Amino acid sequence: MTITRRVFVKSGGLALFSLGFDPLFLGRAAYSAIRPTVRPSDRPTLVCLFQRGAVDGLNMIVPHGEELYYRERPRIAVPRGQVVDLDGHFGLHPALAALKPLWDNKSLAAVHAVGSPDSTRSHFDAQDYMESGTPGLKATPDGWLNRYCRHDQEHADTPFRAVAFGPQLPRILAGSAPTLAIDDLQAFGLRVPQEAARDRLTRAFEALYQGATTGLLASSSQEGFDAVQQLKQANPTQYQPANGADYPRGRLGRGFLQIAQLIKADVGVQIAFLDGTGWDTHVNQGSSEGQLAARLKDLGDSLAAFATDLGEKMRDVVVLTMSEFGRTIHENGNIGTDHGHATAMFALGGPVNGGKVLGRWPGLDPANRFEGRDLAVTTDFRDLFGEILARHLGTRDLAAVFPGFAPDPARFPGAIKA
Amino acid sequence: MLKSDGRTVGRSDNPRMAVVALAGIVFLSASPTVRLSGQLSPRDSAVHALNRLAYGPRPGDVDRVARGGVMRWIDEQLAPERIDDAALATRERQFDLLNYSREDLARLYLDAQRARRERQQAQRADSMMSPPADQAEQTPEGLRARRLAGQLQELAVVRAALAERQLQEVMVDFWTNHFNVFLGKGADRFLMPSYVQETIRPRVLGKFADLLIATARSPAMMFYLDNWESVTPGSRPPSPAFPLSAMRRGGQGVRFPRDPMRADSLRRRAEQRMPQGINENYARELMELHTLGVDGGYSQRDVIEVARIFTGWSIAPPPRGGGFEFHDWAHDRGAKTVLGVAFPAGHGEDEALRLLTLLASSPATMHHVSRRLCARFVADDPPDGCVDAAVAAWQRTGGDIREVLRAIFHSPDFWAAQNVRAKVKTPLEFVVSAVRAVRADPDTTARLAQVVARLGEPLYLHVAPDGYPERQEDWLNSGALLARMNAAVAIAAGRLPGAAVDLDSLVPATADRDALVAAVNEAILAGTMSEHTKTVIRDQLSDISDPRQARALAIGLALGGPDFQRQ
Repeated sequence: MTITRRVFVKSGGLALFSLGFDPLFLGRAAYSAIRPTVRPSDRPTLVCLFQRGAVDGLNMIVPHGEELYYRERPRIAVPRGQVVDLDGHFGLHPALAALKPLWDNKSLAAVHAVGSPDSTRSHFDAQDYMESGTPGLKATPDGWLNRYCRHDQEHADTPFRAVAFGPQLPRILAGSAPTLAIDDLQAFGLRVPQEAARDRLTRAFEALYQGATTGLLASSSQEGFDAVQQLKQANPTQYQPANGADYPRGRLGRGFLQIAQLIKADVGVQIAFLDGTGWDTHVNQGSSEGQLAARLKDLGDSLAAFATDLGEKMRDVVVLTMSEFGRTIHENGNIGTDHGHATAMFALGGPVNGGKVLGRWPGLDPANRFEGRDLAVTTDFRDLFGEILARHLGTRDLAAVFPGFAPDPARFPGAIKA
Repeated sequence: MLKSDGRTVGRSDNPRMAVVALAGIVFLSASPTVRLSGQLSPRDSAVHALNRLAYGPRPGDVDRVARGGVMRWIDEQLAPERIDDAALATRERQFDLLNYSREDLARLYLDAQRARRERQQAQRADSMMSPPADQAEQTPEGLRARRLAGQLQELAVVRAALAERQLQEVMVDFWTNHFNVFLGKGADRFLMPSYVQETIRPRVLGKFADLLIATARSPAMMFYLDNWESVTPGSRPPSPAFPLSAMRRGGQGVRFPRDPMRADSLRRRAEQRMPQGINENYARELMELHTLGVDGGYSQRDVIEVARIFTGWSIAPPPRGGGFEFHDWAHDRGAKTVLGVAFPAGHGEDEALRLLTLLASSPATMHHVSRRLCARFVADDPPDGCVDAAVAAWQRTGGDIREVLRAIFHSPDFWAAQNVRAKVKTPLEFVVSAVRAVRADPDTTARLAQVVARLGEPLYLHVAPDGYPERQEDWLNSGALLARMNAAVAIAAGRLPGAAVDLDSLVPATADRDALVAAVNEAILAGTMSEHTKTVIRDQLSDISDPRQARALAIGLALGGPDFQRQ
C-alpha cells in the first residue's frame, strides 16, 4: 500500500489553507507536502530498544577469553562451559542462545566497550545524555531521534514516521518534529467499544477540527485521524505473527510484536522506539541463571521472534539496543554489580555487518580501566548511532543531529555493511 | 547551546513584533487612562482573565467577574492572603501527605529501601524462583511510599482545580517548572514534598531573590543538580564518610559489617566514591535557566567560579533527615570573580548568598524571567511591550513578583486581540479547566494526576532542568490530541477517573437540540463556542433521540474540540 490518496488530498488542502497564517505550521505542512522518494515498503527502518537501568554488558557479551573476568566475578561470572561462544574470546550469555542463528547468518553484531564520554554514574543523567545525544549538556531540549526527523524530512509524509511504544513520548523522540506515542496499537484512537459508535465519534471530532482551526491544532489532529484511518485499514486486531514466530509474553515481546505489525502494515514507520526495564542488577543478579538471565532470555527471545516474524522484511530493518552505562567489572557484596562505565550494544538486521564483535576492546586490566575500576569506553555512542543514521537511514547532516560533535566515518565502529 | 528560548527572534529584527509594539503605542495614546481591556467586552475580558490568571472559568465565574469588574478581580487575585479558601483547606486535610515532615518521609523512604532489600535477600534464598525485580517493590513500606508520591501529584491537580486563590496556584505551577526538580531521581523521591510545600509555595508572589535563595538552599535542588557532592578538590570530611554513593540510589544507608576485612574493603570502596572535586551542574543551570538566561553574558569561567562559591552547600544524610547542611570542610575559601565582581578570599557560606542576591537583581535576570512570565500569561512569543513593562516594575520594586505580574496584567499586550485565545492549554491546564468547567469533585486518589500524565505531563517528572515547556508545539501531537478527545468523552460520560461529575446540575437533559447546544456553550465554554463548533455539534445530534446520550455527546465534543484546547 502506498500512502492513501485521502491523506495526500488532505495534506495538500491544509497546506494551502494555512499559508500566511502560522509560520510554525508552514514547517509542519512542508513535512507533509513532500512526496515520498521511496515507496513505504522499501523504506529503511530503525528500531531502538533502551535497556533502562544499565545492562551488565560483561554478562551479556561475555569476555570468556579473559582470566580476569573470572577472577573479578567469582560468584556471577558465566562459566566457560555455558557461554555460547562467538569468536573464541567473546560469547553470548546462555539465555541469549536464540540469537546464535542470527549471529551465524551474519545479521547480528555486538559493539563492546561503547558508552558515553561523560563520567556520570547517575541513571538519570546518563539516560538523559544518551537520549538528548549531548553528553554533559542537560539543557538540550529535544532528543536526537527527533532532531533526525526534523532534518530529514523526505520521510515525513505519514503520522507513523516515528513511533514510541508506551504511554508517553520518551525524551529521545521529544522535540518539534511530529512523533507518535502509542501505548497499545489496538486501542489507538478513540476509546469507544462499539465500532459504529467509534467511527461516528471519530468523524464528529474530525469535522470539529477540520476547517475550524489553523496551525498546529489542525495539523496534529489531522495527523491523528489519518493515523487512526490507516491503522483501521491495517486491521491490528487480526494480526498473526508469520513463520511461526513466538513472542515471549510480557511487555518487551508485546512491544516487538506491535512494531513488527506496524512495519508489515506498510504505514511508513521509519523510527520505532521501545523501553525495557529491570536491568539495574545491584543485588543477586545471578550468573547463567538468575535475575539477569531471565531478563536476557526475554530480550533474546523477543529479538529472535521479531526477526523470524519479519522474515524477508528484515532486509531493510536495523534493531539497535542501548543502555545508559555498564556495570562494575568487580562483583559487589550483594552478588550483583554497581554502576560502571562502558557497556555492550546489539545491532540486528539485514543491513548489519554481522557475525562480529565490533569496537576496540580495552581489556579488563586495571591499568586500562576507567577511573581504575570500570570498563573503559572506546566507542562514543554517538559514533555508533551516527553510523546507523548515516549508512542505514541515509542522513546527510549528522552534525545537526549531534550538536557539538564532529562525526567522523573513520571512527564508526562498522556496524552497517559498506 | 540548544534551548527553547534560543529559538525566538531578537527584538529589533522582527517586523511582526514591531507592528505589535506600534499597535500598543496607538492603543495607549488613544486612551491614556485606560486601565483595562480595550475593545474586549466585559464578559470577554473576564473569560480572558479567567483563562490566564486561573485554570479556566467554572460555571458562573464569568458573570461574577464581569459584574464586579475584571481589574478588581485581578487585584484580588494578586492579594491571595485576603481570599478565603476554607473549602480547599478542608479538602487538603484529606491528604495525609501533608502530615509528613521531610524527616518522616526520609525515614519512610529508608524503611521502604530496607524492606525491599530484605525481600530481595529472601528471594535469593529460593534460587529456583527468580521473580522480576519490581515484585520486590510490593512491600507495605514501598506501597505506602508510592501512595504518598501519588498524593503529591494529585494534590497539585486538586489545588489547581478547587483553589479560590487561582493565580497563586498558577504561579506555583510556573515556579515549580522554572525551578524544576525531577521527582524520580534518587533522594528527590522523599525531598520533593517539602520542596513544593516549604520552598516554592510560600514564596510564589514574594521577592524573586527570596525564592531564588530558598531553592538554592533546598535539599531537593541540591540533590537534583548534584551540588551536594561538589567539593573543593582534595578536601576530606573530618568524620568517617557516610557512603555518599548510597544517596544516589535514594538514601539507602549501608551498614558496615562486623568482619574487619570486609568492613575495611567496603570503607575503601566508599572512599573511592567520595566526590573528588567541584560539580558545575547547579552553577550552570542557576545562571542559564534560573537567572540570567542562556544569552545572559556569563562564560564557562564564571560557571566554574560559581561552582567554587557553592562548594560545601550540601545535604544531611537521610537518617539525619536530609536537610540542608553547609560543609565548611568542603568549601573553597579562595578568592573568586563572577561576572567581573570580586569575591574576596576567606569567606564561607555567606558568599553564595551574596552571589544569589547579585544574580537576582541583574538586568539579564529581570529580562529573562520577565520574558518567561509573559510567555506564560501573554503569548508563546511575548511582545516586547509587556516584557518591558514587567522589567520596569521589577526595577522599581526590587523584584517584587506581585508587582511584576500586575504590570503584565495592566499592559496593553495582555489584552490585545491577537493574544486572546492564542495559547494552547498544557495537559495540566486542559484537565484542570475541564474539571472546573463541569464542576467535577476530585477525590484523593492519584487518578486525575494519571490522566494528566497520560496526556504527556506527568507532574514533577520532567527530567531536564528546564521544566515543562510553555509552547504549543511541545504539547500538540496527534497522539496527545486523541488522548485529550478520549479524556473529554470520558468526562462527558461521567467516567472521569478520580472525580465525580453531576451533569444534571450542569446541563439539563433536553430533546431540544438548539437549547442543548446553547446550554453546553454557556456551561463549558462560557459562551465562546465558535459557529463552526455549534454547527458540527448540532448536526451530530440530529439522529440521537435519547436526551442523556445527546447531552454526553455534546459535552464530549465541546471539551474535546478545538475551542476548549485554547485559552
